[in-house]
Amino acid sequence: MNDIIIVADGLSKSYDGKPALRSLHLEVPRGSICGFLGRNGAGKTTTLKLLLGMLRRDSGSIRLFGEPVDSEASSIAARRRVGFVSEDKELYPFMTVDQMIRFTRPFFPGWRRDLEEKYLDLFQLPRKKAVPKLSKGMRTQLMLLLAMARGAELLLMDEPTSGLDPAMTEDVLQILADLAASDGTTIFFSSHQLAEVEQICDRVCIIDQGQVVVDGVLDDLKSDYRRILLVFDGTPPRELAGLAGIDHLRQRGRTASLLAHGDVDGLVERARLLGPTSLEVRPVTLKELFLDHVRGE
Amino acid sequence: MLWYKAWLETRWRFVFMLGSIVLLWFAPHFLPFFGFRLPPGVLASRIWMAVHIGSVLLYIVAANFLAGSGVNSQTTYAVTSGFHGSMLFTLSLPVSRRRLLLVRAGLGALLTGVLVAVMAGYTLFQRPEGVSALQALEYIARAIACTMAVYALSVLMACVLDEMWQFYAACFCWIAFYLLQSRFAVVSWVSPLRGMTLFSYPLTAPIPWAPIVASLALAGVFLCASALVLQRKEY
Repeated sequence: MNDIIIVADGLSKSYDGKPALRSLHLEVPRGSICGFLGRNGAGKTTTLKLLLGMLRRDSGSIRLFGEPVDSEASSIAARRRVGFVSEDKELYPFMTVDQMIRFTRPFFPGWRRDLEEKYLDLFQLPRKKAVPKLSKGMRTQLMLLLAMARGAELLLMDEPTSGLDPAMTEDVLQILADLAASDGTTIFFSSHQLAEVEQICDRVCIIDQGQVVVDGVLDDLKSDYRRILLVFDGTPPRELAGLAGIDHLRQRGRTASLLAHGDVDGLVERARLLGPTSLEVRPVTLKELFLDHVRGE
Repeated sequence: MLWYKAWLETRWRFVFMLGSIVLLWFAPHFLPFFGFRLPPGVLASRIWMAVHIGSVLLYIVAANFLAGSGVNSQTTYAVTSGFHGSMLFTLSLPVSRRRLLLVRAGLGALLTGVLVAVMAGYTLFQRPEGVSALQALEYIARAIACTMAVYALSVLMACVLDEMWQFYAACFCWIAFYLLQSRFAVVSWVSPLRGMTLFSYPLTAPIPWAPIVASLALAGVFLCASALVLQRKEY
């Protein structure tokens, strides 16, 4: 059994000559819940579509479940084991809830009737209601049902909780966490809701301008990264920017804020030599980590 | 289950076309209610000609109408989605694009065939001269074969263009083809449009193999092109 479910290596994709992904490298271990973060247009949806064969890559390779996905046949084989929730939560407007379920079920031999019933009850989806008459939240719920009841080993989700109210968002996050814990389902989902990601993800991958800028276990990232706040008498010295080990530096007036990981203690010692009036080392939140890496300062 | 989806998304188009046909058939009976009366000198053959021309036009409209939706640009109600509609959901299923096209286009072709058979049958039924069963079968088969070229071109258009434009683009192509056939004898000889009518090839004439074979060949080419387009299409 392969322990890495998704491997994307050197993945590149451009639209009309404009690069969307630049040699993206990604690995998602089996059973993990990986949050895929990035600004709008960073390449999140493109990555998900490439994984499912909806787009053709310019270069690079994809392996799902340890098998290369390099042809339509291999993509189809992989899709038998994948559940997908698209960004726009679009379903067939000419079907009812019940028809959507009856249509999707036969494609997946491992379809879970128990989960189908469970989520129909939980989401209170009216079986006879036509898809266009469902609210956005209900459409999202139906799409989640159709993805989760597939008995999939991997769930690829593009902003799965968009359109849900806070209570339902909480329920869905709990369901996803349960699926990963009880069935070992791997969940790879993009989101703009950092709190959600922080709540259920054990891994995080931050993408910016088509490249992965942060990738790792969330707890490790939080313990590795530190925010160093420095206050000087005057403008921070120029040497500050040249210090080795700084990931990101932001200066405002007399203060400087550094984001660093790895040898933080060494960096703190070197920063002290520049004579700040105060120096403070703080743990970072996922939000800080995200903003520092995507703001490009 | 793809046939189930294809049927659900096509059935209203089929019913709509069937309704249009029935309306056309009964239109002459309703005319007196609106104060229209056919002049006493109008010959039955003239009325029949009008019915036949109307039917042939409806073959083309039906073929174009039934080819829309499903292949490329499934109707979407989400305004943020661009033109791919619910195709993303379909493509997340473990099915090949070729199979998607085959089932969708296959069912559409079947329904188009049914509509053409109904219309052609009615046209022959109304013919003042009377028709033998063999002649009727021959004409219905010929009309279906020739309409398949129209249908397949429309499928190709549905793979290339958004649904909004597919119908008009396909109609435009056949208007252009009609103009070509009136200028070039060879085009006229193999024209599916001429093959559909009883004016170009009367029932008593030998079976017009040229338009039939050309239509089926064109349909094959258009469907192969559709498969290639769909295979390369990005969503």
